[in-house]
Amino acid sequence: MGAKTGGAALIERIEWPLAIVVILLAALGLFNLRNASLNSPASFHLAQAVWYMVGVGAITLVTLIHTRFFQRWAYVGFGAVVLLLVAVALFGTELNGSKRWLNFGAFLVQPSELLKLAVIVVTARYFNDRNKEGSYSLRELVAPTAIVLSGVFWVFNQPDLGTSLVILAIFGTMVLFEGVRWQSVVALAVAGVIALPFGYAFGLKEYQRDRVISFMNLDADTHGQSWQVRQSMIAFGSGRVWGKGHEEGTQIQKGFVPEHENDFIAANWGEERGFVGMLLLLGLYFAFIAAALNVSRKARDRYGVLVGVGVAALFFWHTVVNLGMVTGMLPVVGLTLPMLSYGGSSLLTMMVAIGLLFNVSFHRPSYG
Amino acid sequence: MGLGDLPTRGRHGELAEYGARYGWTLVLVLMAFGIIALRLWQIQVIEGDRYYRAATENIIRQVEVSAPRGRILDRYGVALAENRPSFDVYMVPHIFRRHADEEAYALLKRYMNLSEAELGRIRKSVESNRGEVLLRRDVPRLEVARLEEDRLRLPGIEVRATAHRHYPLHHVGGHAVGFVAEVGRSELRELRAYGYRPGDRVGRMGLESAFEEVLHGSPGLDRVVVDARGNRQGESQTRFLIGEYQRIEPVAGRDVVSTLDADLMVIIDEAMRRHAAGAVVAVDPRDGAVRGLYSKPHFNPNAWSGRLSAMEKMRSDNDPFKPMLDKSVSAYFPGSVYKIVGTWAALHDGIYEPHDEVDCPGYYHFGGRRWRCHKRGGHGDVDAFTSMAMSCDVYFYQLAEEMGMDRMAEFARRFGFGERTGLPINHESAGRIPDTEWYRQYGPDGYTRGMDLNSVLGQGDTLTTPLQVAMAYAAIANGGDLYYPRMVEEIRNQSGEVVFEYEPRVRKKVGIDEESLEVLRRGLWMGVEDDMGTASHVKLEHSEVAGKTGTAQVAKIGAVRVANSDKEIRLRDHAWFAAYAPYEDPELVLVVFLEHAGHGGAEAAPVAMEIFDRYLTRDQEFDALEVRLGSTPLESVGGAR
Repeated sequence: MGAKTGGAALIERIEWPLAIVVILLAALGLFNLRNASLNSPASFHLAQAVWYMVGVGAITLVTLIHTRFFQRWAYVGFGAVVLLLVAVALFGTELNGSKRWLNFGAFLVQPSELLKLAVIVVTARYFNDRNKEGSYSLRELVAPTAIVLSGVFWVFNQPDLGTSLVILAIFGTMVLFEGVRWQSVVALAVAGVIALPFGYAFGLKEYQRDRVISFMNLDADTHGQSWQVRQSMIAFGSGRVWGKGHEEGTQIQKGFVPEHENDFIAANWGEERGFVGMLLLLGLYFAFIAAALNVSRKARDRYGVLVGVGVAALFFWHTVVNLGMVTGMLPVVGLTLPMLSYGGSSLLTMMVAIGLLFNVSFHRPSYG
Repeated sequence: MGLGDLPTRGRHGELAEYGARYGWTLVLVLMAFGIIALRLWQIQVIEGDRYYRAATENIIRQVEVSAPRGRILDRYGVALAENRPSFDVYMVPHIFRRHADEEAYALLKRYMNLSEAELGRIRKSVESNRGEVLLRRDVPRLEVARLEEDRLRLPGIEVRATAHRHYPLHHVGGHAVGFVAEVGRSELRELRAYGYRPGDRVGRMGLESAFEEVLHGSPGLDRVVVDARGNRQGESQTRFLIGEYQRIEPVAGRDVVSTLDADLMVIIDEAMRRHAAGAVVAVDPRDGAVRGLYSKPHFNPNAWSGRLSAMEKMRSDNDPFKPMLDKSVSAYFPGSVYKIVGTWAALHDGIYEPHDEVDCPGYYHFGGRRWRCHKRGGHGDVDAFTSMAMSCDVYFYQLAEEMGMDRMAEFARRFGFGERTGLPINHESAGRIPDTEWYRQYGPDGYTRGMDLNSVLGQGDTLTTPLQVAMAYAAIANGGDLYYPRMVEEIRNQSGEVVFEYEPRVRKKVGIDEESLEVLRRGLWMGVEDDMGTASHVKLEHSEVAGKTGTAQVAKIGAVRVANSDKEIRLRDHAWFAAYAPYEDPELVLVVFLEHAGHGGAEAAPVAMEIFDRYLTRDQEFDALEVRLGSTPLESVGGAR
């Protein structure tokens, strides 16, 4: 690396492939949201643009803070997020039967979103501290798992099955990447299969079980749970190969798909841009994950590696579960599509996660 | 806080131990995305067309456009049944269920003025997700306006403007005109092929029912673009999405121009004001056109076709006088109006010459018992004319004894008694003309000669309908042609062009000889115009009327006659009067039948004479009808008095 100084040096340290993918995703997300809210009373894309601006600020801030700061304060930060989750359980605001928000007067904060980030950072810090060469045994994983579960427990209780699962999936991905003995993986898989029916019977709430049932049989409840999936699939399918075209997504614009600006936002893109458009979208997400893994690959320590993997896992699981859900392959669990779904909390989480990636890449030469 | 030592680095500077994991991770990501891509391929490419059709069906709704029902007019074009705009409120349950909350139910209850039970039924429909539910028919404009204001809070609620059936004469002629009611579920199975759908109205009773095919028309087809809440989208949206789709216009039902005379029907209704039950038939003897067909107690077809129908039905079911029964085509004992049969038979067979006299001492001995004449002191010597005029029973007893029942029955049938006249509406009764064979088959004690004597007086087991009597008297008035009663003049399309005309049709020639005819006519004339006639007390100043009174005994109480006023209502005699006028040039036959009203002369004849009086002098009155039809509702004209 040459001896550039000032602005030029800063610009050189930016992870440009990642930045370009993020800009493309953001542009596509805003554009898609605009079309999806054509007949809505609210201008979702304008509100989302404001959140994007806040997000850019967050990315900048997170990028510029030294990586060591996050490492150093990882446990404290995680503990603070868990405390916030406890506060949610005690004083949280309840909407649609779930207690997920803390009311700070002007705005609502969803600490479970923060937990996704806290888990990435704390897990990275944990394994970085161990700095173990070779694979971990199950016993060695009890401690980090316990730490993560101490947070996930509160999210599961809100209840928010989707977020709980995605956090566990992110953690699991990071652990697998760090290295687990294959015997342990097999043991965990067997235990998981055995636990599944019990989890379904005792761990899930009635409405969650309904979602599973309606997922198994789309005809079971044509006007309830299955309605939106069915309508979403009609939206995708009617887009056919090339899509219906700009602003011509009738399924979405005539309101047949509920939550079309949020969890089901992909349906609008699929309807207007067709199979080709969806491949482009998948390509962008793949590019993002590849870029994140590239940041990870170039990191100088386990912390950087695992943050990169954690953020890639965050995007991966959100994308896969969301698209699986809106195309009827997975039950509806209420997960957003990164950068495309409308909503401040979700977008900000993703932006901060991107900030963590930039952070790792930005401080690479010096933080080790 | 220890941050760990730096691990070993690989060729490209990465941490060596993670080496291959990046590659594997990317492969796994690619596989997962590949599965999603395959799923999208399945939905968007393989099944794309199917989903595209589904999306199109989602937003484009095919709507049948009801055809306006044809009108029913009287002979002068006065509307007897017409359409007026009405607003009906429907609910689409699945949309309501998806978007509505308790507040919406509360609003619905308030706006639609629903009872708890009705609301419960609606809740059930919403839960069971049935097809469209009709919440209220014929909602007043003001209520519609209030509902429209709150449309956003009432998803899936639709107000549709429809044509509501309206009967300007209200109860007058209700039986003849009929009413409409929602098509029944079982009926619908058959009628669907003819363009009927749930909620459509179908004619019940009267002309509405008999001419259903003519009046109904055929529905048109339209396509509209809707959103997920079922709200119709604008014209430009619709054109953009479905292009220049040609709407199939509905074909309006055709107008039925009846032979009825609205003015006469009102006159009849007013003349019947003092009587609770009965029927009046008015026929033009020159061509069999039915000018008036009236039955009482009446019902209001507006109520039966509208939102009160359930209440009206209950009231009707509980009424002992059966308001929904058309008494003009139901069979009753005819009493003395039937004597025309005996007179003609006797003259035809030469049993009597017209002037042959029979002594009436007030009774007649036959079969070891004394058969009474209605005049206790007797009529003295009576011939064919005076026996008709004074309705002397003894003359007919003797006639019957000589002639026998079977021969009399034959002449009765020649007049059309015992068979349906062919009226197109209301399932008329055939009546009954018994003969010896009939008695042998059905009589509890078989046949006895005494039955001949009962039969000739229109008693015993003889049953005729007021309409049959009218057609028979019309044959006398016109010289022997028994017409089919004609209720419709013509069918017109919406442009007013006549598409079908109903010509008068002679059912048969009764075959009465000129001399017998003259005797009958003279006898009937004397019944009204001669001072000895049973209806002479009500004769008109301006026209001569020929008529015959009848008092049909309903029940015999002991050996002594009991005055009607002393009998229980349902045991009192039926009062009849059959007549035509003007005598010289008959243009109207009237039969008045009053159920349990007493003597024909005292009760039925005055009613008929009032009708004749006003009908025959109505040039001066005709304007008055227009005033009545145009302004005051006719409820005040009828039954309340």
